[in-house]
Amino acid sequence: MTPRPRPARRLVRGFVRGVAEVMAPPQALGFWADRLLPGANAGRAKVLERRRESADAVTLVLQPGRGWGGCQPGQHVSIGAELDGRRVRRSYSPTGIPRADGRIAITVKRVAGGKLSGFLCDDAPVGTWLDIGPAFGEMTLPAQPDAPLLFLAAGSGITPLMAMARALAARGMPVPLTLLYWARRRDELCFVDELRALARDVPGFNVRFLLTGEAASVTDEGEGRIHAAQLVSFVPDLAERRVMACGPNEFVEAARVLTASQALAFVSEAFTAPRITDDIDTTGSVQVTLARSARVLTLPRGASLLEALEAAGVTPPSGCRMGICNTCACGKRAGSTRHLHTGALEHEPVTALRLCVNRASSDLILEL
Amino acid sequence: MTSTIRNRVLSPAELDAFGNDIDAVRARTVATLGQRDVDYIRAVASAVRWIGLSGRLLLMVGAIGGAFLPALLWPLCIAGTLLLALSKILENMELGHNVMHGQFDWTGDPQLNGQAYEWDIAGTSDNWRKTHNHKHHTWTNVRGMDDDIGYGLLRLFPEQRWKPFHLFQPLIAVVFALLFEWGIAIQDLRLGRWVAGKMRLAELREQFRPVGRKMGRQVLRDYVLWPLLAGPFFLPVLLGNVVANVLRNLWTYTVIFCGHFTADAETFPRESVRNESRGQWYLRQLRGSSNLTGGRLMNLMTGNLSHQIEHHFFPDIPANRYASMAVEVREICARHGQHYNTGSMPVQFGQVVWRILRHALPSRPRAALPAMQASA
Repeated sequence: MTPRPRPARRLVRGFVRGVAEVMAPPQALGFWADRLLPGANAGRAKVLERRRESADAVTLVLQPGRGWGGCQPGQHVSIGAELDGRRVRRSYSPTGIPRADGRIAITVKRVAGGKLSGFLCDDAPVGTWLDIGPAFGEMTLPAQPDAPLLFLAAGSGITPLMAMARALAARGMPVPLTLLYWARRRDELCFVDELRALARDVPGFNVRFLLTGEAASVTDEGEGRIHAAQLVSFVPDLAERRVMACGPNEFVEAARVLTASQALAFVSEAFTAPRITDDIDTTGSVQVTLARSARVLTLPRGASLLEALEAAGVTPPSGCRMGICNTCACGKRAGSTRHLHTGALEHEPVTALRLCVNRASSDLILEL
Repeated sequence: MTSTIRNRVLSPAELDAFGNDIDAVRARTVATLGQRDVDYIRAVASAVRWIGLSGRLLLMVGAIGGAFLPALLWPLCIAGTLLLALSKILENMELGHNVMHGQFDWTGDPQLNGQAYEWDIAGTSDNWRKTHNHKHHTWTNVRGMDDDIGYGLLRLFPEQRWKPFHLFQPLIAVVFALLFEWGIAIQDLRLGRWVAGKMRLAELREQFRPVGRKMGRQVLRDYVLWPLLAGPFFLPVLLGNVVANVLRNLWTYTVIFCGHFTADAETFPRESVRNESRGQWYLRQLRGSSNLTGGRLMNLMTGNLSHQIEHHFFPDIPANRYASMAVEVREICARHGQHYNTGSMPVQFGQVVWRILRHALPSRPRAALPAMQASA
């Protein structure tokens, strides 16, 4: 914790910043700040430790730069790195928070063909600087838990739930908690030793590991995808519990169908690997969310985004209308687009998407 | 000095083939963008910052130290001024201009974001993105649409209407070169419209506000704050900064005028861009632009505007690729019977000076050759 700056110091800082901004252009200040004060950038985080968590997962302990806003157990942050010249960002749920030193830990599971997860698992040595965004996500613990909890995790959906389980254990488990954790194979499970130790030592905490591609062999293991009989045998008191579910879309939907109407409450968070979108299909429409103006539009997929937006009454700045001048470029947070000239698909978030020469291939979130 | 260039007149089908060939060069290059391009532009940025800092420090040491040890004054101040000018030239040309075209937007690096970059020059980046990236690059050398043809000040082509005012243009061109950054800064205000009574003063004042803020900041930086750091010995620092900015102005003016105003560069009537195909657009860029020969140093110092033709074909592709793309572009132009305008800086700038002198006097265009065959 840094002490709150006193008014006099704040005044001095403001003056120094003001003078610096006149003495050098913004990008020059950024250049020197990166070299002289790398820890002062709230958008960067340094890798302090790395340890192997399972066959295909590592945990990285990160020190975010000063001014980073912090993170609640259960929230996510976007972590990025430069791979072959391009910034690639993915969301991770920090575990082991809050910590007094402001650090966070993320557990990264290798995704087949995943660019960033491969880099974080195999490369990214201690000392690497990564990009970090502000924390986001609504699935957090209530300040005063009032009912028993049931956590349903599948695959890397474990990470936000693990963060909350640790936070509850640190508070002496104020309400009973049961965690059901699905994975295909035993060696894909994360935090197994830690979870078993918690189950042994912390009263009120139970864990079950459920395998969908292997036979169960220990008493705290089970088999099969999520289904009703399983829930009845492991969670007889479902009606009294608040359910939190996290995992791939299909898993979260199945969990909702099975528990939402019976449990006290149900909240969930779903994620899915990037959808491989249509290649040829230019018919139909997509939902385009304009993040800055908080609008959601239904736009045709066949037209350039600029034309489609204009037809919907939105007029972003535009210039050449042929992909040359960059005037209409705006950030894309999520979704896939296809370049009208080259036919190239872009699944990654980008800082400057030229609306005039790209069409939507999937639902999009734009910085407009 | 008149052009003897004969370009083959292309049919619509040939134009399409020409456009496809250029598009293919583009696609091949885009596919290989990666780490080395980012490393290159970061090395340039790093050079800009370190050279700029050493220039300013040398000026400071020269000014203060020179007061006690006069032998230091001139050598250090001259070295400092030259380094500062070099830093500003590199920043404006190879770093700022290219980054502001969005050439490095694909990296996702906020420091290289084309729409956020603010360069070290009197004009605002926002105005530049509008007058240059949009108007000049889309409507290159189209009369009445590209304000860069003579910058509303000079008559460089016989197609521009002659006025008695143009008799003074040999002198005006020199003043414009010395003050080039200020001319660029007010280009988009189009003061002529206000003088002619087509724009209200209130409107002009509104448009001037961001421009004035940027100008004020530049003046404060180079002519007040940095000299003040030298205390009572401010004068050499102030003069060094003035000279560095003027050197930058002269160099950028020379490079930019060589880009579109050489003897063989053509201008186009408004009608020519109606329903323009991609091939026609490429052809217009080719005929309106001219390159400079020279090695890698020339490429670096001109921000790769030594490859003006490639820059106009591919304004959003990292400029460090132009040199290798030029080999293919040149071959494509030869294959399609199109002149590829290139020459040494003295020759190309000599042609520009000739245009400034010649068209100060009344002149008439030669009988127009068809630029391209009317589309079927």
